Amino acid sequence: MAQVEKRGGLLRKSSASKKPLKEKVVLMYDEIFMTEDPSKCSPRFWEELFLMKVNLEYLEGKLESLDGEELMKIKDNINCLFQHCIQALGEDHPIRVVNALQTLCALIRGVHQKNKSTSGFDIINMLMGFDKAELCMKNLMESLDSLLCAEGSESLKSLCLKLLLCLVTVTDNISQNTILEYVMINSIFEAILQILSHPPSRREHGYDAVVLLALLVNYRKYESVNPYIVKLSIVDDEATLNGMGLVIAQALSEYNRQYKDKEEEHQSGFFSALTNMVGSMFIADAHEKISVQTNEAILLALYEAVHLNRNFITVLAQSHPEMGLVTSPVSPAPTTPVTPLGTTPPSSDDEHRLHSGKLCLIILTCIAEDQYANAFLHDDNMNFRVNLHRMPMRHRKKAADKNLPCRPLVCAVLDLMVEFIVTHMMKEFPMDLYIRCIQVVHKLLCYQKKCRVRLHYTWRELWSALINLLKFLMSNETVLLAKHNIFTLALMIVNLFNMFITYGDTFLPTPSSYDELYYEIIRMHQSFDNLYSMVLRLSTNAGQWKEAASKVTHALVNIRAIINHFNPKIESYAAVNHISQLSEEQVLEVVRANYDTLTLKLQDGLDQYERYSEQHKEAAFFKELVRSISTNVRRNLAFHTLSQEVLLKEFSTIS
Amino acid sequence: MGDTVVEPAPLKPTSEPTSGPPGNNGGSLLSVITEGVGELSVIDPEVAQKACQEVLEKVKLLHGGMAVSSRGTPLELVNGDGVDSEIRCLDDPPAQIREEEDEMGAAVASGTAKGARRRRQNNSAKQSWLLRLFESKLFDISMAISYLYNSKEPGVQAYIGNRLFCFRNEDVDFYLPQLLNMYIHMDEDVGDAIKPYIVHRCRQSINFSLQCALLLGAYSSDMHISTQRHSRGTKLRKLILSDELKPAHRKRELPSLSPAPDTGLSPSKRTHQRSKSDATASISLSSNLKRTASNPKVENEDEELSSSTESIDNSFSSPVRLAPEREFIKSLMAIGKRLATLPTKEQKTQRLISELSLLNHKLPARVWLPTAGFDHHVVRVPHTQAVVLNSKDKAPYLIYVEVLECENFDTTSVPARIPENRIRSTRSVENLPECGITHEQRAGSFSTVPNYDNDDEAWSVDDIGELQVELPEVHTNSCDNISQFSVDSITSQESKEPVFIAAGDIRRRLSEQLAHTPTAFKRDPEDPSAVALKEPWQEKVRRIREGSPYGHLPNWRLLSVIVKCGDDLRQELLAFQVLKQLQSIWEQERVPLWIKPYKILVISADSGMIEPVVNAVSIHQVKKQSQLSLLDYFLQEHGSYTTEAFLSAQRNFVQSCAGYCLVCYLLQVKDRHNGNILLDAEGHIIHIDFGFILSSSPRNLGFETSAFKLTTEFVDVMGGLDGDMFNYYKMLMLQGLIAARKHMDKVVQIVEIMQQGSQLPCFHGSSTIRNLKERFHMSMTEEQLQLLVEQMVDGSMRSITTKLYDGFQYLTNGIM
Repeated sequence: MAQVEKRGGLLRKSSASKKPLKEKVVLMYDEIFMTEDPSKCSPRFWEELFLMKVNLEYLEGKLESLDGEELMKIKDNINCLFQHCIQALGEDHPIRVVNALQTLCALIRGVHQKNKSTSGFDIINMLMGFDKAELCMKNLMESLDSLLCAEGSESLKSLCLKLLLCLVTVTDNISQNTILEYVMINSIFEAILQILSHPPSRREHGYDAVVLLALLVNYRKYESVNPYIVKLSIVDDEATLNGMGLVIAQALSEYNRQYKDKEEEHQSGFFSALTNMVGSMFIADAHEKISVQTNEAILLALYEAVHLNRNFITVLAQSHPEMGLVTSPVSPAPTTPVTPLGTTPPSSDDEHRLHSGKLCLIILTCIAEDQYANAFLHDDNMNFRVNLHRMPMRHRKKAADKNLPCRPLVCAVLDLMVEFIVTHMMKEFPMDLYIRCIQVVHKLLCYQKKCRVRLHYTWRELWSALINLLKFLMSNETVLLAKHNIFTLALMIVNLFNMFITYGDTFLPTPSSYDELYYEIIRMHQSFDNLYSMVLRLSTNAGQWKEAASKVTHALVNIRAIINHFNPKIESYAAVNHISQLSEEQVLEVVRANYDTLTLKLQDGLDQYERYSEQHKEAAFFKELVRSISTNVRRNLAFHTLSQEVLLKEFSTIS
Repeated sequence: MGDTVVEPAPLKPTSEPTSGPPGNNGGSLLSVITEGVGELSVIDPEVAQKACQEVLEKVKLLHGGMAVSSRGTPLELVNGDGVDSEIRCLDDPPAQIREEEDEMGAAVASGTAKGARRRRQNNSAKQSWLLRLFESKLFDISMAISYLYNSKEPGVQAYIGNRLFCFRNEDVDFYLPQLLNMYIHMDEDVGDAIKPYIVHRCRQSINFSLQCALLLGAYSSDMHISTQRHSRGTKLRKLILSDELKPAHRKRELPSLSPAPDTGLSPSKRTHQRSKSDATASISLSSNLKRTASNPKVENEDEELSSSTESIDNSFSSPVRLAPEREFIKSLMAIGKRLATLPTKEQKTQRLISELSLLNHKLPARVWLPTAGFDHHVVRVPHTQAVVLNSKDKAPYLIYVEVLECENFDTTSVPARIPENRIRSTRSVENLPECGITHEQRAGSFSTVPNYDNDDEAWSVDDIGELQVELPEVHTNSCDNISQFSVDSITSQESKEPVFIAAGDIRRRLSEQLAHTPTAFKRDPEDPSAVALKEPWQEKVRRIREGSPYGHLPNWRLLSVIVKCGDDLRQELLAFQVLKQLQSIWEQERVPLWIKPYKILVISADSGMIEPVVNAVSIHQVKKQSQLSLLDYFLQEHGSYTTEAFLSAQRNFVQSCAGYCLVCYLLQVKDRHNGNILLDAEGHIIHIDFGFILSSSPRNLGFETSAFKLTTEFVDVMGGLDGDMFNYYKMLMLQGLIAARKHMDKVVQIVEIMQQGSQLPCFHGSSTIRNLKERFHMSMTEEQLQLLVEQMVDGSMRSITTKLYDGFQYLTNGIM
């Protein structure tokens, strides 16, 4: 033991040569790492310890360097240290509290890092001892709770949150972190809510609080009753929900802004001004935080809020414009949950991007299923300009975004879906995302049909995007069929058309838009013909796709009826009038003249959909997502908890 | 009708010059009075009124030809019984006066020392006639105000001050601006006479207190800071705001029934005690704000309303009655100020909506809309319905306000908050409670999870679930049976028989359904208010009610209000009063002129609220949206020339046009462009924005020299220059002018009192009142008047300046 200790000292000497002498605190740590009770020789040992500036690196390193058995030997001392830390939390002097909090961080991390293989119970035993664990954790949580809710120093609160985040993320798989069982019993949910509902504290700690909440909600989500889930799902206080929405909106808009900056490279005065403003409020001391990964954390928080708490959707609707209020008088385009998806670059096969994209689409799915959210999205009185990031592509110039129309939010969602459809047709075909994307459109259409909302939207763009997607599926049939069941997607697309064809009277904005639908189908009849021959081919020979393909065959009946009905009419019109190429107007004329002789078949269940369900289908995805978020939060924490110079300065001046 | 109305009027000018100095006619006056009063019970009202007028004419002379005048109105006569009883309750003050007359043989004396100091010698006989007049049934509030203003006698003033208690509250309320302006700007005697009444009423009604406080503030603002009188107005204001004047006896009924002696007491002498209901109500308010089962620690996000109520909670003696309301008004004004800083309409609208959604978090509260005519609590502002109105540099906005009507604002407690998402529910954790506690450890070493709120409502199934098993009955809004068909598709699942539909039917339904929707305006981000105002009020109420968590309550009402920030509404208030007066004159004289005075709340010298005219859009918006001439728009909205709907709309148009032409002429309303003239769903026009009246005109460009605005488009709607309706229009104008002339003094009085101490631009120059009186053309015969009307109509028709002004407005403000 003594050797280990020396080695540690020597190491320090060589690595950090500016500190040749051992700090007092290091000496005291060393004493703890003895088997003897350190307070035996110096009764005021613990009191003194928390007056010393914590040397996190040393303490953590020391703990890491010990193996399980060695640790067991000093278990009593570690238990003692843990208990005294908790005791110190209750003291008046902030320096002691700060030091105790940091020591706790180091303890928890140190013990975990070394004991990855050991079970959670061993760790609890190591830190607190089984017999005292319950009381210990109860005290700890109570202290943290009162620190978070008190009118105390903001930095202190921040440190409390850091400790909690540290505690939550020590294991890669959050559900294996047995200590959290105590966090479940001794809920700090109310404290988190209070932080979010209080504007000043929200500004300081909102981000951490939201991430913490998102993580806590994911603890043993599918196996047990997680009180955080239950509590989150019934929160109905508008101020709190609003606060949460604001934090998320700010984080997302910050992300969008950064993306835009990167995209545009040149920083104008306006942007730097905004950076300063937002920066000072939101990221305060943590510029490092903003990365794709933290974005995931905030998206997860948004998802949980939308998915679990449906009151949140009412707030979601409100907090966007307020965003502009808080950030600057020059309010930027309202951030919506949809924008992150728009930033997903089409070429990227980065796993994180796919994660975020998927999560965004899931969030949109939840929103599209919600009556209230839909009402808000379709509200004619609530118009927004949403600036979607459109990737410059070969066939189109970068659109000038200056003259965006101000429209109901649902238009932006539809635009985004169209944008996604046209930009993600690639070899590594994101089938899952496409299916979700089409589902979102379908759910929106179902709402419009049900509530007879006639949205003034240029549906034509959607139709042509869908047809192009069909074309892509067919031209890459062999490649895609090897990996995916493309017929599910094809069926969904065809059924979207069927929605328009048979229920167009309930939600299309004008009669001429119905004509345009026919025009588009007739114009692109080649694609539908090809699709039909393909599915016919596959449904007749007894391959694995027989059933799936035959479903598409049936679904195509109306589209084929339209094509077969109008094409001869158009040809004869051309022949009679001696025109080789009919103009759009002429085709529309033929269409209008010949509706009455066309009979369509009413298909079943076009306006029904399967509701989103996390537990059965998405559990694996969320487990993986939470794991990656945990890792990232932990990584970022390491840096920040270590540098609490500011904090110490603050308290040293007070004392 | 015109004939009967005209008669008394020409009498006046002739009687004026012949009458001699006041003293000489004493005897005859007396006889006239006895005659008039004596006949009252026997003769019909018309004659009585004439007699009364003569009496008053004489009384006027008696006061040395002062420009006093007041007349009994048939309205008052109808209410004769009421007056009787009211006078009875006045036993005290008149008795006092009588005694003093007898003893001292001198003028009236009020009890006050101040009164005594300034007392003048007066003819006792004269006083007793006056007294008889005051006690007569003819003596109405208009006369009372007139005497209060014109009389230099402290005794008379004090008497009238007492007499105010006998009038109906609503009647006095109409003259509140006049009363308070006199209180602020006239000498102490008037003030002393008025004050007890004001204090008394403040005690009774919180709304009255608020109005007084606001008006006192607004009308004091034109004064020099250091004058003593200034502090007099502000002192009363402070007194009201300090909440000393909380209700003395809550159970007391109407003020007219309350004994007069009560009022003599100075309010400060009252022991200050907080009424129980107030206290409990405020507590319930703050607990409302903080109520949440899930997180009791949470405090309300924002300061204003909550902080004020917070303080109520802490210190029970601090001002409470008016505090929440004042905060409410303050937040509305603050929103207006912030909106003004934003450059585009669109940004303003978005900001407005989000600001209001925050305001919503603080409602319901002990606040009300002073423009409403009934007691209520504001419970919600449907924020998405709010619109920014068209204005160049300011940001007036229109909000709809959901209120719950209550019997008595003071005693009813604030309604409990119902969250926006009352019907919302959770979905993903449906099976959580059933999940049970499976983990052994949980059962063993850990205590069980604390009880979480497991109320049934929160777990109910989401409403959109209908989508999955959709029933045809759900679609109550489907327009016809055929379109029901497409909805029924799901039911076809049972029968495996394929269902066929014709594409032509779908297309046809689509066009039919679109044709059936009423002509709504198209949304224009530059003019967000057009759509909101075009929507029929009833429909809007229904729509908002459906979407409101409070909508199911039987006492739910929807109100709307325009919040103006940065505009002086004192002129608007003056115009409102004049319009209201003219309206009642015309009603009384049975001239079918139609005008729509809209309520004004003056909050300060540069802010206020306006009660919007419902179901009306500006002619500018009509023309811009429809791209039709006014006549074609009428045809489109109401049907062809011969239909009942068109004819009644046309008649409404003519009657309102005639009414407003007279108003414009009499008040010299300027700035008459199409953005300031509304057209309602029944065809009436309504003039709004009385920013330039009497002596002020916009930019003094000399535009708009014609008497009123009458464009060819208007005449077209009336059926052309030779049409019957156009003649009817001119005849209405003549009748209206004759009726107004008959009651000129009632109109002039309103304006004249408000001129006192005012810096308003409409009183610019010295001849405002004289010019106003001249426009009534008292000396003209009926024939001459008819000629005058013809001339004015002709002049306005020919007036190139109207057209020029419209062009000018189009160029500068884009108003069509």
